[in-house]
Amino acid sequence: MAQRSKESHTLFLLAVGLLAWLVPGAGHFLLNQKKRAAIIFITIVVTFCIGLYVGSIGVIDPVGAKPWYVAQIMNSPAIVVLERLSTAGSYPVYGRANEIGQIYTSITGLLNLLCIVNAVYVAHLRGSETTGG
Amino acid sequence: MFAAAALITATFTTPERIGTDPQSVLWLLPLAAAIAVVYKATKVSKIKAIAFARESVVLFGSIIIFMATTALVLFALAWLIVE
Repeated sequence: MAQRSKESHTLFLLAVGLLAWLVPGAGHFLLNQKKRAAIIFITIVVTFCIGLYVGSIGVIDPVGAKPWYVAQIMNSPAIVVLERLSTAGSYPVYGRANEIGQIYTSITGLLNLLCIVNAVYVAHLRGSETTGG
Repeated sequence: MFAAAALITATFTTPERIGTDPQSVLWLLPLAAAIAVVYKATKVSKIKAIAFARESVVLFGSIIIFMATTALVLFALAWLIVE
């Protein structure tokens, strides 16, 4: 019985983490923290869009800027779609616009990673309180 | 509808022209604001509009003051080495 409870708790943590990665703020939404989820979603999406506006989708470059791409992918798996678009077309971007675009999109990815970890941690704390562990 | 879609696509497929002048450092401000807001959203126990805004503004100010201080120290160091 305890084993099953532990398994379902782990599955719930995985679901929260995965959902938080799929859509920024969705992890907190699942935990019924709607205000927090809305703030996270709006801030991350707007900041990411500013980055794309400044540098264009050319800043998502898994070949020439791999470390930046690793941080960008933390935003959402939807980055893969943008990456396909970016590599399919020709969107060269250089100089300060490239730097600022990459910094904005990567920092939002790292902020979302912080939110994913926070959502999983809060879910874990709630689970521990419920099971008394 | 098509024109709107084309405009949106063009907005995100053409980079902006940003020079390397000192004003380009101002691009730091929206990013620092976003960091302050998201960080505080994960830290505060209960979100109440005024308290949350105040805490975010304090963190935003702290980031800016710390970065300005760091820039001044680095500038002074560079000046001492060069002169």
